[in-house]
Amino acid sequence: MPLQNLRGRVAFIFEEIDFDVDQIVGVKNIKITDIDELAAAAMQDYDHDFRNSVRKGDLLVGNANFGYGHPHYPPMRAMRHLGIAGMIAESFSPGYWRGEVSMGFPQVSCPGILGLVRRWDEVEVDWQQGRVTNLTTGASLPFEPLALADRRMIEAGGLVPYLKQPLEV
Amino acid sequence: MGYTITEKIMARAAGLPSVKAGDEVLAKPDYVIAYDFPGYTDVYFKSMKEDFGIERVAEPDRFAIFIDHMVPATSPKEEELHIITRTWCAENNVPLFERKGIGHQVAAEVGYAVPGAFVVHFDGHISQLGTFGTLAMGIRRNILEAFVRERISIRVPHTVRVDLEGELQPGVMARDVFHHLVRVLGPSSCRFQVLELGGPGLSQLSTEGLQTVTGLAMFTGAITAIVNPDETRLAYALPRARKALDPVWSDPDADYAARHTIDLSAIEPVIVIPPTPANTRDLKDYLGLEVQVGYLGSCASGRLEDLRVAAKILAGRQVAPGFQLNVIPTSQEIMAAAANEGLIGTLVAAGAFVSSPSCDYCFGRIATMTQKQRAVSTGTLNVRGRMGSTDSEIYLCSAASVAAAAIEGAIADPRKYW
Repeated sequence: MPLQNLRGRVAFIFEEIDFDVDQIVGVKNIKITDIDELAAAAMQDYDHDFRNSVRKGDLLVGNANFGYGHPHYPPMRAMRHLGIAGMIAESFSPGYWRGEVSMGFPQVSCPGILGLVRRWDEVEVDWQQGRVTNLTTGASLPFEPLALADRRMIEAGGLVPYLKQPLEV
Repeated sequence: MGYTITEKIMARAAGLPSVKAGDEVLAKPDYVIAYDFPGYTDVYFKSMKEDFGIERVAEPDRFAIFIDHMVPATSPKEEELHIITRTWCAENNVPLFERKGIGHQVAAEVGYAVPGAFVVHFDGHISQLGTFGTLAMGIRRNILEAFVRERISIRVPHTVRVDLEGELQPGVMARDVFHHLVRVLGPSSCRFQVLELGGPGLSQLSTEGLQTVTGLAMFTGAITAIVNPDETRLAYALPRARKALDPVWSDPDADYAARHTIDLSAIEPVIVIPPTPANTRDLKDYLGLEVQVGYLGSCASGRLEDLRVAAKILAGRQVAPGFQLNVIPTSQEIMAAAANEGLIGTLVAAGAFVSSPSCDYCFGRIATMTQKQRAVSTGTLNVRGRMGSTDSEIYLCSAASVAAAAIEGAIADPRKYW
């Protein structure tokens, strides 16, 4: 199944370079496994009301080398539980990128994204065109094409369903 | 235009005459390596059977499993995980290395650092096999692909070449060189690329020192690091190698994404302040800062030269009262050599707590810190909560700096004891 375009509001912009995603839930909460508890802890240091203002399909925006450090899976599990459908950043740290792509979570590397959007703008990621468009302002930018395997992993919904598909050369 | 060592290794692994950076290929890893950890190997083993119906791996000698975390086990649950690992390895006839030391180091000792080989692990610190001209990548959960398929999908990475020149000042170690490199080039300078080390200054670093530098490559954003083989490193790797491959070297006219030169003579001891490995600072700006814990070990820095330097600094001296110095040699082989040299005796006499190789000090499973405590550490990482309480702090530095801090109970300049 081809990738569905992402369309949603920019629910938050992480402006810090080399952002350590563990901060999203706080390091002390990283071992929480209950998804509701994890979601309740998410974003408390950034926006207390985040869970009430976010809605299904919203996207996150990040700065350069997003996910640097020692990224764990719970922060983005929490974000997906709250409705976040994908992440657009200036660039990504490889460990974080691989980890989240293997979860089937769409990641878009788009140099210039911070200058393109403001919080709560409506944006669209068009996989076919390879562009991110700010629907609120009409401005758009190209994003870096996904590696074929990454694209297929996101299409499949994660590593295990991807590996269950026949290998295409 | 020539090829990098990485492109040559990837071409062979992909069964192609040549590949270039950016190409997407299906490559067969020579070795698939993992250590057992809850949520990792136990999940892969289960998934192989239940999701993919794989009861036995086809070429067992391509796989290797290490038990180096939770050693020794401190709960029945931890030991149960090890039993799952031992059982899977026995059923599959896959080599298992238990209680030999930290896997990334032991992998080199037992012959997985084959010059010219392509190796995958889920953990990125396997990059240290790059010291021997092996292309070793941490691919996180995608390791499952290598467990269930013969080949993995991979994009041939670009390479950033870093040439070292000049001579190291006394008191400066490979650990300082690496953190200096992060500071100068930046924590994303090699993002998704391979860090290739070369240049006339390479001879300033021992094989062990290069293992330190290559093993930490991920903190430049690199997906691995590699060094073109030389006589010394081949003399270590080839007699141990599990398979015969022709070593390969980068061509002089290889195509690099970027080239940098680092002047080793300009490097002074550094310290990496919490909470990120991107925070390299001058050690001299932190002198006198009180610390209560010292950790000398990890896959990055618990090798013989680290122990020698620490023993030299601590010989005839005492660890400060109340300071906990934990010295954990990286492998059994290293510990035995250190014992034979008398290093262990010197360190113990100075008040160090010396323990057998284990990964557990590095992530605070053992010797956990509580709030407000501060450590100097040769571990891999200084993120909050890495060695215990999220309100404790980790300052990363060289083995020499840890030893100097142990004497003073505060961050200290190792050069005055050198």
